[in-house]
Amino acid sequence: MQTFTMVLEEIWTSLFMWFFYALIPCLLTDEVAILPAPQNLSVLSTNMKHLLMWSPVIVPGETVYYSVEYQGEYESLYASHIWIPSSWCSLTEGPECDVTDDITATVPYNLRVRATLGSQTSAWSILKHPFNRNSTILTPPGMEITKDGFHLVIELDDLGPQFEFLVAYWRREPGAEEHVKMVRSGGIPVHLETMEPGAAYCVKAQTFVKAIGRYSAFSQTECVEVQGEAIPLVLALFAFVGFMLILVVVPLFVWKMGRLLQYSCCPVVVLPDTLKITNSPQKLISCRREEVDACATAVMSPEELLRAWIS
Amino acid sequence: MKLHCVSLWLLGTILMLCSVDNHGLRRCLISTDMHHIEESFQEIKRAIQAKDTFPNVTILSTLETLQIIKPLDVCCVTKNLLAFYVDRVFKDHQEPNPKILRKISSIANSFLYMQKTLRQCQEQRQCHCRQEATNVTRVIHDNYDQLEVRSAAIKSLGELDIFLAWIAKNHEVTSSA
Repeated sequence: MQTFTMVLEEIWTSLFMWFFYALIPCLLTDEVAILPAPQNLSVLSTNMKHLLMWSPVIVPGETVYYSVEYQGEYESLYASHIWIPSSWCSLTEGPECDVTDDITATVPYNLRVRATLGSQTSAWSILKHPFNRNSTILTPPGMEITKDGFHLVIELDDLGPQFEFLVAYWRREPGAEEHVKMVRSGGIPVHLETMEPGAAYCVKAQTFVKAIGRYSAFSQTECVEVQGEAIPLVLALFAFVGFMLILVVVPLFVWKMGRLLQYSCCPVVVLPDTLKITNSPQKLISCRREEVDACATAVMSPEELLRAWIS
Repeated sequence: MKLHCVSLWLLGTILMLCSVDNHGLRRCLISTDMHHIEESFQEIKRAIQAKDTFPNVTILSTLETLQIIKPLDVCCVTKNLLAFYVDRVFKDHQEPNPKILRKISSIANSFLYMQKTLRQCQEQRQCHCRQEATNVTRVIHDNYDQLEVRSAAIKSLGELDIFLAWIAKNHEVTSSA
């Protein structure tokens, strides 16, 4: 019995010693062999593009890979053990990850990263403050204003399906009304207004993201002017009326002048019948007041007739 | 004649107030990106509906007969159904496929956002639950309880398109694409 107990004791001691010796290498291990977790996690979000960044883990001569996981507010409240691998960053090289396709709701998201080197993996490093995409920085949109004849046309940058644009435009004159137009997507030319020649028009735009209910600041105002080349409508009307008048008046004038000339140089004169003198004998009745009863008819020559007229 | 005029005026005022109130409630979810939620669901719809083992039964059946839900009940029913999905359906469903899990997570988190938006709207306008609205909700919960929990969850997930279409119709939410 005593021998049996002694044997057992020896076995226990050897086991213990073996275990202790096995632990020594672990205790003496250099820290480099345990992969450190990535530090300084942060999210840079501009115009609904979210980039998770961290300080790289440096291991000389080796390429360290990183894995990213996320959980939305739903998971953190109802299923906190669930972490979903990022769409693009399961073993990625660079110390950053585009998590735009993972952050798909306007709620706070937890993000975590760990480093991998061969068979070693570091501990998870979690983003200190959960990220909500409504904190994204919205920049004023880039826009190109062009004149297509008299048409005012705008083309805005294509920022993706989540962006809509509010375009404000007005005539550059005191008291002018500001018009507002909603443009659903960028990348295509949109007609704003037909401009009047000689006037200047100004345009500015801002973005609107429906998913977070926020607007960006307005872009810088850009103005364009259209030269007054064409004759205004009123002037054209006057010119037309004048032309029609000329078309009617000139022939009338020419005809009148022709008639006048005709009268002045080659008049046609017709002697009345009473002044016509002929050589044929005439019966002439000469009556004097005193000799009322005797009226003598006599054939007279033209000279005698004339003498009788004069007296 | 005067009484006739007064009663007409009163009726007109009541109708106007009702429409204004309903219009206001309808605009509660206007900033939600419904298109994205519908898109997410379309990608997993076939896979989810294929797992449904009771095709002849529906849980959200009452929503298809839309005349049952009156405009005054829309706010309450929306609130209750969002809670139904967030508190019961998503929790009861364990998804092994990471691709489907990603889409379900997206929808679940979007519903959470919609709940918050609706709550803010409620603070400004009353969102009372009348008996009719409460009955509709109870019927849905009863339908859910009649099935084994995993089957009920998968079936409710499969009927998300009915719920999403009903929200879009009743809240005048415009798609952003």
